Amino acid sequence: MKKRLLIIGAFIAISPVLFSFCGFYVSKADGTLKNKTSQVILVRDGNRSVITMYNDFKGDTKDFAMVVPVPVVLRKDDIKVVDQSIFQRLNDYSAPRLVEYWDQNPCNNYEMMKEDMSMAPSANVDKALAGKVAGARSSVKIEAQYLVGEYDILILSAKESSGLKNWLNEHGYKIPADAEEVLDPYIKSNLKFFVVKVNEKEKKKLNSNFLRPIQISFNSPKFMLPIRLGMANADGDQDLIVYAFTRRGRIESTNYRNADIVSNRNIPLFVQKNFGAFYGNLFTNQWDKEGKSVAFLEYAWNVTPVNPMKCDPCVGNPPTEQDLVQSGVWWLGGKDWNDYSDVDNDEPDNGSKNVHFTRLHFRYNRKSFPQDLMFQVTPNTLNYQARYIITHPATGDFNCAAGKKYLQDLRQRRKKELQELTALTGTNINNWQDEATATNDEETNVTAQYATLLPQVKDEMENKANVPVGILLFGAAMLGGAGLMRWKGII
Amino acid sequence: MPLLTLFKDARYFQIIFQSIFLSYGILFLHWRNESWLYATYFTTSLVVQFVCAYFLGKKNIPFLQRLKNGIPSVLISSFGLSLLLKTNYWWVAVFAAAVSILSKYIIRINGKHIFNPSALGIVAAIFLTGNAWISPGQWGSGAVIMFGVLSLGFIVTTKVQKLDVSLAFLGTFAGLIFLRQVIYLGWPMDHFIQSVSTGSLLLFSFFMITDPKTIPDHTAARVVWCMAIAAVAFYLTAFKFMNGAPIIVLVLAQPLVPILDKFFKARKFEWSKPKAYTPEEKNFLQVVYSRSIM
Repeated sequence: MKKRLLIIGAFIAISPVLFSFCGFYVSKADGTLKNKTSQVILVRDGNRSVITMYNDFKGDTKDFAMVVPVPVVLRKDDIKVVDQSIFQRLNDYSAPRLVEYWDQNPCNNYEMMKEDMSMAPSANVDKALAGKVAGARSSVKIEAQYLVGEYDILILSAKESSGLKNWLNEHGYKIPADAEEVLDPYIKSNLKFFVVKVNEKEKKKLNSNFLRPIQISFNSPKFMLPIRLGMANADGDQDLIVYAFTRRGRIESTNYRNADIVSNRNIPLFVQKNFGAFYGNLFTNQWDKEGKSVAFLEYAWNVTPVNPMKCDPCVGNPPTEQDLVQSGVWWLGGKDWNDYSDVDNDEPDNGSKNVHFTRLHFRYNRKSFPQDLMFQVTPNTLNYQARYIITHPATGDFNCAAGKKYLQDLRQRRKKELQELTALTGTNINNWQDEATATNDEETNVTAQYATLLPQVKDEMENKANVPVGILLFGAAMLGGAGLMRWKGII
Repeated sequence: MPLLTLFKDARYFQIIFQSIFLSYGILFLHWRNESWLYATYFTTSLVVQFVCAYFLGKKNIPFLQRLKNGIPSVLISSFGLSLLLKTNYWWVAVFAAAVSILSKYIIRINGKHIFNPSALGIVAAIFLTGNAWISPGQWGSGAVIMFGVLSLGFIVTTKVQKLDVSLAFLGTFAGLIFLRQVIYLGWPMDHFIQSVSTGSLLLFSFFMITDPKTIPDHTAARVVWCMAIAAVAFYLTAFKFMNGAPIIVLVLAQPLVPILDKFFKARKFEWSKPKAYTPEEKNFLQVVYSRSIM
């Protein structure tokens, strides 16, 4: 015990970042899923894709309808309904997370830290992916017709968009006015239309208010998500969370820029009270900064069931093998996918049971996202998580030398946290005045309380002359160029 | 005038522009985490070049001169790898860089190397190691358009390199995409712009396919060759959904160059054409640029 204390003391003395020995998860960014958030599970290996679409339709199920462009005519076996709780589990597990550390009083002896596992799961409000439409023309052909679970499903092919539009309208699928601009290219690209309505009879048998997610699988070299049709009837920005599973590594967008959402930052303690709002602000700020047409990586991990370490820390239980199989990861479990009559899989099943989980977050609108989302599977197996750190200060007397040093470091650290907070969220420091004052900071030494430090940080930020790194590097490049010319004897 | 002398050799122009692109990526697109990768590409390339120049270079030129002559093209290949090829493993980076430089010395016909060094390094790393990939989506499209205009404008005003290759490729490739997406499928214009404003395409058209040592010498043959590459790359991109198709097609098409050169006789390319200079300049350039290899 004595020894450990000494080591901790040494850490504190040499490092401005205060260390302690345990970190517990406290909260996840529940509030981050905006009202207009779609969720999709994508499973991809070789040429096979499995897409599961979350359905949070609330209202009279008679009004529900959905149109999804798909590359091939699906067979009945290719369409399933799955339990919707799978989305909640995947979201809980991969959501941006807040971790909590405790400082130790360098002047005290130590008792183990208590853990605060105040997981407060709250309902996410999401929205189904495809355009909402409510369900004849000669140019439209019904390729197939199935009853799957509570859904009546049609697979249509069409020769021209106005015919399809009329057919859909006549059958009660209310197609938005400007959908035609999208339908035409889809028809010419030889896409089929997967059209869904609720079968009231089957729905009654289920005795549940929820519509279950639909899962479709098919073989096609196209690895994409059609978002353009959904844009036709939505105004403003829409959020889309993609949970992707592959055998090889991360997925990434090929036609939009990929960026990691900023992570591993120390933020003030009071953010804990409203982490969802914090992350919402952070995401909006980063999205603006990165130019909007961006795929944000929020999580990437090897979640192979035998792999013991799946996050650090975990905000929810890692997906079990059953969860993964239900998400459509066909290479796990004893599922019989032998019926590959139309497969030209270029990557043979190598028997590997690896599963890599990627969570991408898009916020799209018509202007920033002119194309559907195209993806590729990469061999990138690096782990990534959106993770933010709060640290509880030590309490008690700090009369020893190490204690005084600690207080000084604590003040510095907290000032940095406040600056980080405003930089990450793009907000003015004044906006946090109330939170800083209201925080339960009484036990902290008064000189290190956020309420005390905030005005100081404000002054410092106002006075600080900021020399961007860019200018420095540009200067260095110019010097280098001049050197090169001098060497060549030009100047 | 002195500044123009520097740009008489198109390779300096390439180095400057590629370094601008890389700096942009590092400063604005957060490629900082990959600094180790860029360092590996550059170090390996320089070391391999050193070894090759020592053992394999033409013996009638002093070693130091050989080494110095080779440096610009080593930098160009290293920039090419840095800007296009991603990997998480240092050994893949070493492999790609070594293949790039070695191919220049080992795979040669008629005193010309066959493959564009960085293109071959990229393709070899992707297909042989399975641990490397190209990220077409690593650039913001706004910046790419700016870069394109900048590069093109600079080339036109300084005449630093011939544009026939870039324009034949880019024109055919973008033209076919335009025909398919806008004219045939009926997508709006911004859909098409999103397709062609990828940094990888721009780098390929202005800085990779243009390598004069690995294209046919005869003008007409060269233009047709570029258009054929563009057409095949378009087919693979649009119908087979292949990423990085132009680079792969280029590598596959390069063995045809010696055959084309045989049928279409033309003067072999030299980095600097002596007739454009005064006798003093000619003398100077011969001293500086008389190189055995690229």
